[in-house]
Parts: sequence; structure tokens; C-alpha cells
Amino acid sequence: MMPSGVFNTRPQQDMAIVRTRAQWLLLAAALIFLVTLGLYLPQEWVVWLIMVGIYTVAALGIHIMTGLCGQFSMGQAAFMALGAYTTAFLAGSHGWSPWLTLPLSGLVAGLGGLVFGIPALRIKGFYLVLTTIAAQFVIMWAIRQPDWLGETYGLDVPAISIGGAALKDAQFWWLTLGVAAVMLFLAKNIQRTATGRKFVAVRDNDLAAEVMGINLFRTKLLAFFIGCFFAGIAGWLWAHHLLRINPDLFTFSLSLWFLAMIIIGGMGSTAGVVMGAGVIMLVDKLVPRLSPVLADAFPSLGYQIPAALSLILFALVVILFILIEPKGLYHRLQRIKLYYRLNPFSY
Amino acid sequence: MDDVLIQGLLVGGVYALIALGFVLVFKSSLVLNLAHGELIAILSYFLYQIIAIWGLSDWAGIPLVVASGALLGLLMERLAVRPLLGQPFLSLLMMTLMLSFLLKGVVVLVWGSDSFVLPFTPAGQWTIGPFNVIPGAAISFVVAVAIFLLLTALFRYTKVGLSMRVVAADHEVAQSLGIRVRRVFSLSWAISGSFAAVCGVLAGMVLTVTPVMGDLALGKGLPVLLLGGLNSIPGAMAGGLIIGLVEALGSYYQPGMKEIIPWIVMLIILLVRPYGLFGERRIERI
Repeated sequence: MMPSGVFNTRPQQDMAIVRTRAQWLLLAAALIFLVTLGLYLPQEWVVWLIMVGIYTVAALGIHIMTGLCGQFSMGQAAFMALGAYTTAFLAGSHGWSPWLTLPLSGLVAGLGGLVFGIPALRIKGFYLVLTTIAAQFVIMWAIRQPDWLGETYGLDVPAISIGGAALKDAQFWWLTLGVAAVMLFLAKNIQRTATGRKFVAVRDNDLAAEVMGINLFRTKLLAFFIGCFFAGIAGWLWAHHLLRINPDLFTFSLSLWFLAMIIIGGMGSTAGVVMGAGVIMLVDKLVPRLSPVLADAFPSLGYQIPAALSLILFALVVILFILIEPKGLYHRLQRIKLYYRLNPFSY
Repeated sequence: MDDVLIQGLLVGGVYALIALGFVLVFKSSLVLNLAHGELIAILSYFLYQIIAIWGLSDWAGIPLVVASGALLGLLMERLAVRPLLGQPFLSLLMMTLMLSFLLKGVVVLVWGSDSFVLPFTPAGQWTIGPFNVIPGAAISFVVAVAIFLLLTALFRYTKVGLSMRVVAADHEVAQSLGIRVRRVFSLSWAISGSFAAVCGVLAGMVLTVTPVMGDLALGKGLPVLLLGGLNSIPGAMAGGLIIGLVEALGSYYQPGMKEIIPWIVMLIILLVRPYGLFGERRIERI
């Protein structure tokens, strides 16, 4: 809903993502703020920001697959691994330029998504979920096997360098921010094209969509391809951030984190994905701060607390969101904005 | 070679039992309870707590664990799943997954990373006819078959079982026949919980009880479930035996592939028969 007194008078205004001058100013201010954050935040929090950015990109893939097209995927971490290993293998072992492997990482992950998306034509719901769980285990198992992928020890990844100098954390944050912004823009735009509307039609009722002339097979596969492409890009970022990857990074729980992000943020909105990623990463940050306190309070439990706490806290946060705010944070934000736009009237 | 096959078949009985717990809940309430694996693990640990730490005898411990399994199932249904009736299916799925995280967290918190073997596990090997079998697996197989027969009888001859089948077919029809659908939900979760307890006891004899046992149970149970079809009791049984056999054969020839074989078999079957071997085909209308 538009603020009071603002009307669209031209079709371009109707189609714009950023609608008012105030929104442009806010967007610019937010970008400047985010860029400068890299300069004065302590290193720990810069790394945190980088991780939020990377997870946002991967969760955007889930957002397109699940939030828009209704194809549930619990194997996103494995597709991230495909992207990460592509760049580790090509840039690390064969000396290709990381900029060249960026699209390749996305492509390889996307092709992997196509393979595991094929069953989606005939099966849906729980059966499809379980197929993607199978994808997670099969892909991660396959990555562990060949010795040119480092088996269980993983591979070294070269740092990205611009102008001869390897990127430091703050600079890597700018890179992440740039990639995440581009991917956000892409995801937002996919939503608004014919393809995005096809995705939504398939999500809402795939039989009806097919009757209306949408090619189900192609649409579902495209959703899988795009979603996994995003995962591959996230994997590329992560690999070049960590500089060393191994199969244990890409766990099944990580795949669930991405699903939890879009649930917390709100299904079907790109802004929600960012919020969800932020909330989940905050919970992740809370664990090492909370565990010493708890360990002091219950000394007999001592060393198990951090491991148990991260599981329990994560589960509790997601359960609370499902029970209390099933439509997600973005929906709540919209309600608050609506309230202030209409205030003092209730309609 | 024969021993390998027999061993696979026997272990398949345990897998079938794990899958039966899923089927029972799915049949009546259309919820795939992904917390079932961790439920098995936590009950296994609880049994260990009762026997090894509190010092109760085995025969007091097992009924106690079965009862607490039923109670846990009941609580999960009442507190976590029932408030979500009518919500989209991703919410339910995530809810059961998060319950499994919660249970795993409790296991790690209380028992740490201890692993143990249940104290009444018979050691050595039994020789039945020409075959050598591991006693734990043989006992589990017998129990699994007994429970399968009991369950078939329950669904065919008792009023409770019949009402569960009606609920599975159609909630509204069930309500109009005077069946309390909610009570049937609770009941099926309670039975599924007690199944988890039995699985916990049996799996504790076949596998070692470790913190990853829940994932292991899930990893074996889900392929079996899909192979047989989500809502078929004979399917779960057949699927369990097939997966057990294939896994045993596979790990005999390719030891490195043991964990991955059930998933690959499942993927192939799903490509050919999307609703599993015995699953009910749903005809959809717009």
C-alpha cells in the first residue's frame, strides 16, 4: 500500500521496485551504512556480516524453489558444496581465475539441481522432500570419494585478489555485499516476470497451472536450476571466504537452516529472506555467549552445553515462529507499516 | 554369503519396525513425523539410564520405556502438532524436524557423547540350522514380525483399528460416523511413540547407542518408508526386508557404500513408481 497522497500516474511507477523518493533515500542510506560497517566493526562482526550475506544468497535459492515454486528442498547445503568444490577444483587445483569460476560454480550446482529435480515432475509433497534429503546424502557421499576432491580432508581455495593484493575481511564483506545485492535484485525480478508468475501458479495448484498451458516439467526444473544456481554462488563465496573447504561444512542441518530462514522471514518475500538469515545468525552468535553462563550455573553438564544449546535454541526459535508468527517477520513488518500509514484511522 | 543374506534380512526387520512408526502416524493424521528417529534415540538412552544408572531390572525397565514412549508421542501430538492443524505442510514438516533437534539437544545435554551397549544384549553367535546369526538381530526380527502381525490384526479386527482406518480415509466421514478424530490422532501418536520405544530397545541391541543413532534411524527408516509407500503397513514390512537385504548385499561387495545404498535404491524406485511399491495412489482434482 502506498503512503497517503502518493499515487502512481505512469506505468513505470507501477512497475518500479523502489516507489517513492523517501524509499530511494532510505535505500541509499542503508547501502552506505552497510558498506561503512566493514570499516569500523570488529573483525568478529565483519565475519558475521559476511556469513549473513552468504547464507542470504543460499536462502534466496530456497526462496525461489520453495517460496515461489513450492518445491521443497532439504539439500541446499549439498548444492552449495557443488559450487564450492567447483571453484576449489578449478581455481585451486588448476589455477583458473576465481572470477571465471563464479558463473561456473553456479552452473555446476544448477545442473546438479536439474538431476535431482527430475523426479519432481511425478512426485510432490513428502516424497519430494525425501528425494532432496537423498540428494543431500548422495551428493555429500560422492564428494567424499575421489582423491582429486581431497576425500574427507577437503581442498585449499585461493584467496581472491584484486590488483595483486588478497582481499582482507572488510573488503571481502564488500564483495559479499555486492554479490548478495545483485542476487537479491535478480530474485526480486524473477518474482515479477512471467517465469515468476508461472512458479507461483505451480505452487498454488500445479494441476490447474498445467491446464492453463504451463509446461510443468520445464517450470519445475527451471525453479530447481535457479534455486541451485543461487546455492552454487553462495558456495563460491563461502569457499573463497574460508580458503579451505571440507565435506563436513555442508551438513544436513545447514540445509535445514536455510528452510528455517525463509520460514522465519516469511515465505515468498525477498526482504524476509534477509531478515530470516539475520535472525538465525544472531541465534548462532548467542550460543557461544550464553554457554559459559550456563556452564557456570550447571557445572555438572559442563562441556556438553555448547553443542546442546545450539540445537535447542535453534529448535525453540523456529518452533516459536511457526506457532506464533507463521507468516514470518516480513508479514509482521508490513502490518506495522500499515498501522502507521493508516493511523489514526483503522482502515 | 548365506550368512550375509540372513543377517540383512534380520536387520531389515528392525528397519521395518522403524518405518511402521512413521506409517502409523502418517496413515491417520497425514503428518510425516521426522522426529521419530530422535525419539528412538532418546528412549534408548532413557532405557540405559533406567538400567545402568538407576539400577532397575531389565524387565521393569522395558515396560517403563514403552510407557514413556507412548507418553512422549502423546505430548508431541498435543503440544506441537495439533496447534498446526490446517497449516501448510512445510510448517508441520519443519515442526517435526525441530522437535527432533530439540530431542537431540536433550540427549546431548543429559548424556553427552557417551555410547554404550545395552546390558542384556546376548553376546556371541547363534547357530540356527545351517546359518550363523547375531542374536540381537534374530530377536529383533522375531519381535518385528510379531508386532507387524499384531498391527495387522489391530487394523482388521478391532474397533480402534477400524476407526483409525476410517480416519485415514476421510476425516469428515469419520466425524459423521461419531468417531472422535482427535482422540484417534492422539492414540496413533501414542502407539507410534511406544513403537519408537520398542525400536529403541531393539536397535540398542543391533546397533550401538550413540548420539548419532537418531540420524541413523531416520536414515534407515525413510528409504524403507518411501520404498513401501507412506501409508502401507505391509509396504513398510516388505520395504524393510528389501532395504535390509540390498544393504547387506551392497556392503558385502562394496563396503564403502553401506550408508548410501538405501537412498540410491529409494531414488530409483521413486523414479519408476512415484508412490512406492504399495503406496496409495492419490487421484487429484482441481
